[in-house]
Amino acid sequence: MAVIAGRPNRGALLPSRLSALSSTRAGSLTIFIVRRILWMIPIVFFVILITFFLMHLAPGSPWDRGGGRELSASVRHNLDLKYGLNKPEYQQFELYLWNVAHFDFGLSYQYEGKTVTKLIGEGIPYTATLGTLAFLIIVPVGIGLGVLAALRQNTRTDYVVMGFATGAASFPNFVVGALMVVVFSVEMARWTDHSFFLPAADFGVDDHLIMPVITLALLPIAYTARLTRASTLDTIRQDYIRTAWAKGLPERLVVLKHVLKNSLIPVVTTLGPTFAFLVTGSVIVETVFNIPGIGRAFVVAVTSRDYPMILGTTVLFSVVIAVANLVVDVLYVFIDPRVRLS
Amino acid sequence: MQLGTRIRAVALASAGLFVVAACGGNNSTPSLNLAPAAQQILRVNTGVEPNSFDPTQQTYTYEAAVGRNTFQSLLQPKADLSDVQPAAATKYDVSSDGLTYTFHLQPNAKWSDGKSVTASDWVYGYQHFLNPALAAGYVDPFFDTTIAGAGNYGNVDVSSASAIDSYLSGLGLSAPDANTFVIKLAHPAAYFKWVVTLWVAVPLRKDIVESAAGGTFPSTDTTKAETWANNANTIVGNGPFKISEIASKDHVTMVPNTNYWGGTAKLQQIIYYYISDGNTEFSKYQTGALDIANVPLADVTVVRGDSTLSKQAHLYPQLTAFWMTFNTTKAPFDNAKVRLAFAKSIDRDKLANDVQHGTAKGLASFIPNGMAGYDTSDNNQSFDAAAAKKLLSDAGVTADTLNKYKLLTRNSTGSKTLNQFIVDQWNTNLGLNIQLDVIDSKTVTSRIRKGNFDIYGPDGWGADYPDQQDWMDIFVSGSCHSLNWGCPTLAGYDALVQKADTELSQSQRNADYLTAQKMLIDQAAVAFMYQPYEYDLVASYVNITHTAFDDQFAPGDQNYFTAYITTH
Amino acid sequence: MALAAPVQQAVEWEVAEQQIGLWQDAWHRFRRNPLAVAGAVLVVFLVLVAFLSPVLVHLGLIIDPIKQEVEHIEASPGQFGHPLGTDELGRDTLSRLMYGSRISLSVGILVQGIILPIGLAIGLAAGYFGGRIDNLLMRITDIWYAFPDLIFVLVLVSVFGPSLLSIFGAIALVNWVNLARLVRGQVLAIKEKEYIEAARSSGSPPIKLILKHLLPNALGPIIVTVVFGIPQAIFLEAALSFLGVGIQPPTPTWGQMVFDGYEAIYANPTSVVFPALAIGFTLLAFSFIGDGLRDALDPRMRR
Repeated sequence: MAVIAGRPNRGALLPSRLSALSSTRAGSLTIFIVRRILWMIPIVFFVILITFFLMHLAPGSPWDRGGGRELSASVRHNLDLKYGLNKPEYQQFELYLWNVAHFDFGLSYQYEGKTVTKLIGEGIPYTATLGTLAFLIIVPVGIGLGVLAALRQNTRTDYVVMGFATGAASFPNFVVGALMVVVFSVEMARWTDHSFFLPAADFGVDDHLIMPVITLALLPIAYTARLTRASTLDTIRQDYIRTAWAKGLPERLVVLKHVLKNSLIPVVTTLGPTFAFLVTGSVIVETVFNIPGIGRAFVVAVTSRDYPMILGTTVLFSVVIAVANLVVDVLYVFIDPRVRLS
Repeated sequence: MQLGTRIRAVALASAGLFVVAACGGNNSTPSLNLAPAAQQILRVNTGVEPNSFDPTQQTYTYEAAVGRNTFQSLLQPKADLSDVQPAAATKYDVSSDGLTYTFHLQPNAKWSDGKSVTASDWVYGYQHFLNPALAAGYVDPFFDTTIAGAGNYGNVDVSSASAIDSYLSGLGLSAPDANTFVIKLAHPAAYFKWVVTLWVAVPLRKDIVESAAGGTFPSTDTTKAETWANNANTIVGNGPFKISEIASKDHVTMVPNTNYWGGTAKLQQIIYYYISDGNTEFSKYQTGALDIANVPLADVTVVRGDSTLSKQAHLYPQLTAFWMTFNTTKAPFDNAKVRLAFAKSIDRDKLANDVQHGTAKGLASFIPNGMAGYDTSDNNQSFDAAAAKKLLSDAGVTADTLNKYKLLTRNSTGSKTLNQFIVDQWNTNLGLNIQLDVIDSKTVTSRIRKGNFDIYGPDGWGADYPDQQDWMDIFVSGSCHSLNWGCPTLAGYDALVQKADTELSQSQRNADYLTAQKMLIDQAAVAFMYQPYEYDLVASYVNITHTAFDDQFAPGDQNYFTAYITTH
Repeated sequence: MALAAPVQQAVEWEVAEQQIGLWQDAWHRFRRNPLAVAGAVLVVFLVLVAFLSPVLVHLGLIIDPIKQEVEHIEASPGQFGHPLGTDELGRDTLSRLMYGSRISLSVGILVQGIILPIGLAIGLAAGYFGGRIDNLLMRITDIWYAFPDLIFVLVLVSVFGPSLLSIFGAIALVNWVNLARLVRGQVLAIKEKEYIEAARSSGSPPIKLILKHLLPNALGPIIVTVVFGIPQAIFLEAALSFLGVGIQPPTPTWGQMVFDGYEAIYANPTSVVFPALAIGFTLLAFSFIGDGLRDALDPRMRR
């Protein structure tokens, strides 16, 4: 595999015994995928392990009300018994792992009788909607801006686009969210006497989506634009592109045929981190805009010491990111003819 | 029962203040200007989705707002909070030894599905509530310390169904006939009539609970015991409303219970939204999407200055008080003079008028304005910077000793803002340099429980019911580390409060509680600060009856049965 | 998962014989980049503000940032002698902004100072020695990458108390991954070059090889990554304030000012706008500097 900074060289781990199987590309691809999936298991295990023990280190129990009417000591003791919190930690951990293997993530401590699986299930549609919409914006806008900037390198267009990209990446998403709320909710309401303005919070499949999605998408767009610009510049300088230009082929043709195709290769590498941005970005954006997705559920779970919920969402996050990286790596194999798997 | 004359005067004056008809001045006129049925919809924001629709499990005000409308307890407070009045029970008798309460139920009380409410439903409901495996938040101390046989609540083995069942059958609950519900107490408690007004003490339908669970189930199975509460169809209550729709994470809708013994409500729908952002709520009120809204603290001045909004805004007192708690187990806060010095160096007027924008009133005593026991005659804690400094020097404590102590603060905007002001007051008026210690809420709770703090605040209490017992019991020495975080020891306090709790003569109780309150103030058990009010916007076409004892942010929710919308 | 700044592409370039020439060349290019220069100017300005603000308060030229004026809560800019208004306790916004720069700059720079040795050591070891060490280290970074940095920071700060040290340490600990991976990639790219082979076959010990030959040639992208890490750290500190795991009041930090100001967003929007812009422009300045450095150190990006 081509060595690129920051991307682990997983292909190099193939043991020699399997080299016979890897003589076919399809065979080696399958092995590659299987190996990666198998690697996900210990990774997720360690994530759970570390999260579990760190969580229990933090003082405060799930039954502390945090300011309301506190439960009496005996009731708290009973609750501990009921949820198995009185057992030694390693036992609780074993029990948890056993349940996870059966896809049982336990009951949430905050919401009576609701399982973690159900709560996560309730939150997924919101987060997925925002994430998908953001993604649909990120890819064309990010790539388009990057190519544009590269083709117009060092002109005003380039500076404007890159300046915007850097700006978007620099202003933290909660800052952007807050500023948008000020302009499009508060001030707009004031100017139009409350007749037209964007809603400052909550979820709805209407104009409620505008500000959260934009806030979520800005950083990945900037990141994608940057990387696209850099790789497009690389491609442009290749000799065969110069030859095509020198031959007088129209720019559009050259761009579409050659530049885009080859520039997309490193851009596919942005998809992994983009996914990560969307997942972690959702945590803050959902908090700012009060959207009941998984990101916000996670934050609430942490501050409430809802251990099962914390663990459940953490597992979900790490699996999602690991799968996204795997998909990216596989796509990479197909897109880049130079990539070898052994 | 006889009320002390002063207290009656206060109560009546409060009644005059607090019974507000928010309908543009029109007040109890024969023509109510009722809007047509299609418009009889009340939209309120309760802010948070209830954890449970089972009233016995509800502990927060945003949950009780649903529970007390879908179910009804035996008695309810009068509008002026001077006493209780009938609700699901028409009347009650107390035996001469104060141990037996006989409740005569409403003869034609019906569930929302039409069946009659019987006394055995009440027994079942109380037993469900008192099941130790369910760990309902409001059992202790109201019910487990009063009802006969309930004292062992915290020690029952919740993994053994037989242990739970024998505990429950040993409780002093019985139904001698279909219309009579009898509760036996372990010892006399004059305040028990208030305890039964709590929204958690309701009847339940055994057949519905069991059918929702798929059949009978052991008392240890708490999930099955609560299955009925997850679906609007199986939430059958005896209250004036019933739930018609549960839209998770968005809202819950209630419609009138046409089988309610008191008739059908005028409102056709009540919708509780779960908008947690105060600014969004405020904004939705202004666009007409909400009929009642709480004004966020930062926007109070905006509303006051707005000609339209200010007419719709109401300042409702809350039966709540806030104070600062000192860890009296270590020097120098074991010295009452030091605590008093701190109490006297807080400018409560500035706090209430500036920091809280007039949505609070300074309180240098304990019981808040609006219920029996409110008394401001003792002003030993009122603001006096010079006297405060003198107290401190009399106690022989220097700034250096004090400056290493910290004010433990919960990590919320309200707490941080208030505490920064308080610390600034102490530092300015006493010449100190005390710092804040801002920590996340759960950690704070675990620390104060262990007594691992110097000063903590704002600590406070909201009345569960308007009887002094609910308040005074906070500071008994037995509550050290559970409510009385600072553990101040006051000679004679415990005995006095216990006497007043079991005493049957109301006037004697009032006098005793007054003496106890004086002890708290004079020895600065804590530094009392203020009573919060609630600044709410109520649309001009909404007519609600508010009592001081309303729960936060759903003003009038104790009386939505009589609320209505006028034409607009 | 680190809320990562863009990961840098490997810069494969031949090493110039004279390293001094490279740096001078880079400096010239940097100076001719208007955005980078603007960023540098802003950062210098911030550093000055950070150092001078206590002096200004002492001289009475600006108001003490912790002095409360509860009669003038949430004043608008210009009211009552407060050029940028006041906050929820009547404290002057301008002086709080100025003091906030001290925290932001310290967080940004100190955190990178902690990250640098960790990331360098691990990345160099992984890249040079390869094999099992590389695998182990890359697996660790995989787990770390999949780890919610939010919970890690929250727990660390809850356990050790919200002191500056624990907050800095926690942020640093979750963000060293980027640097380690970049360093590793750089080492891998350079290690097969002939001059390295030559040095190795001449019997140089690994440490000397790493420090004398590998590291200096990888320095460019490393510097760029470190500089890009500064806004990342500032961002995390500000984000932590949103969840209340931040620096204690009444010390003003920009993140906290945004969070506290959000409550009053309808009544006094500028209480959010000013600290938000402060955060944004500071991060922007560092990003421009980073961009400029990268362009300057990359001989291929010629005009």
